[in-house]
Amino acid sequence: MRKIGLLMLAFMLVAMFMVSCGGGADVTVGSKEFTEQIILGKMMKLVLEDNGLTVDDKTGLGGTMICREALLSGDIDVYMEYTGTALLVHLGHEDPITDSQLCYETVRAEDLSENGIVWLQPSLFDNTYTLMMREAEAESLGLDSISDLAAYINANPGELTFASGAEFQERPDGLPGVEATYGFEFGGANVVQMDVGLTYSALYEGEVDVAMGFATDGRIAGFDLVNLQDDLQFFPVYNVAPTLPQSFLDEYPDVEDILDGIAPLLDSVTMQGLNYEVDIEHRDADDVAREWLVSAGLLEE
Amino acid sequence: MELWVDLWKYVVERYPEMLGMLWRHLELVGLATLAAAFVGIGLGILITRRRLRWLGPPVMAICNIGQTVPSLAVVAIMLPILVIGFLPGFFAIFIYILLPIARNTYVGIRGVDPGLMEAARGMGMSAGQILVRLEIPLATYVILAGVRTAMVIAVGVATLATFIGAGGLGDLIDRGISLVNTTYLLAGAIPAALLAIAIELGLGRLERVITPKGLRV
Repeated sequence: MRKIGLLMLAFMLVAMFMVSCGGGADVTVGSKEFTEQIILGKMMKLVLEDNGLTVDDKTGLGGTMICREALLSGDIDVYMEYTGTALLVHLGHEDPITDSQLCYETVRAEDLSENGIVWLQPSLFDNTYTLMMREAEAESLGLDSISDLAAYINANPGELTFASGAEFQERPDGLPGVEATYGFEFGGANVVQMDVGLTYSALYEGEVDVAMGFATDGRIAGFDLVNLQDDLQFFPVYNVAPTLPQSFLDEYPDVEDILDGIAPLLDSVTMQGLNYEVDIEHRDADDVAREWLVSAGLLEE
Repeated sequence: MELWVDLWKYVVERYPEMLGMLWRHLELVGLATLAAAFVGIGLGILITRRRLRWLGPPVMAICNIGQTVPSLAVVAIMLPILVIGFLPGFFAIFIYILLPIARNTYVGIRGVDPGLMEAARGMGMSAGQILVRLEIPLATYVILAGVRTAMVIAVGVATLATFIGAGGLGDLIDRGISLVNTTYLLAGAIPAALLAIAIELGLGRLERVITPKGLRV
């Protein structure tokens, strides 16, 4: 009996030791596992460290659900979440919101009252669906927005071809909705469906004139593509902002000010450039995040 | 039950688009099979000729290796060469099904009874005459079986060609997968399966018609 008791005591000591080690850092920063998220996570880590806090780096933790669960359970203290994702996935809304400000305000209010999660300042960029063109062709045709595109297609039906991913073809917030909202049609024969990762190079190679993509993808910067303005605000919005439990902020009130400065300085072209550095130039996310923070004046050299 | 209702509604509403995809699928399969039959049968005959016979085993070895490459990989390999669209899809299918056709031609002709060949030579037939009047007719059954297998495989590979923008019924299947929507999935998968079965049965019948009377089972 005594032996078992000793063994249990030993286990408890080891367990307590491990717990105290894990809790050694002031802030645990998480992120989802794709490039943009890792860069954003590294930014938060770097500014927090710069302000004298110790940080446990858990960037690249997992998918949306894993990060959210980790935040709610206290395994991580902060990660950047997209407003559109929170609205539909975490807060269970049926319909997306296509106005950035409205979506942010809705999510901020509901997530705080329902789950005690605080949303800091959101990003300028909106990582949503986008229609892209080659910069040169968009310029020569004088197209800046999807409205311009619609007008052009209605005047020259069947001239422009479009590269689409499979999902985008059928989603109500995809091609059918865009065409209905803006009042034009590419026409079935002009739509080429392909793997969603290929649309950028198909456009770049000149196989199509217009392609769908995600607004902050690094290849937009790398391949000299431009996003057409969603001037009728059709696509649901996915601005990003740091999310953290109120209970954590009560303990570390300074963190709010420290993290608040990052996202509002990030517009889509900036974010595309940062994603480009990591995805296409294969640079280290930590370095890319650091350089940008320094250039933005958020971090001392 | 609800699933079939949804599926029926989808088909009624979208059949022009579906017909377009089916037609594109047929184009991919048909043209690739035609090209592969032309090249594959030619290649198979070449490597059974007396002077090129030494090429047989290595070419067959390459054929066998080619068959073990996953079809999705063959589709993906086309990307850096031909980018996207109908042509890379066509070539991917062509390359993939060239092998069974060439192999069956080779095996069919090699399988002709040496005694018959001896007799033909003894009757004073030239090599060309032997090929046209003896070897090819006797191997027809095996060659056509190869074409049939190839074409059925082609229907399957063509559903993957959607990833490189070649169109076809794979478009619908991919939409079904990425949206976890069984209606789209079945609207693409069922016609593709029926197409494969139709080809299997249709070519089976054709084989019986073409096979010389004396060889029919």
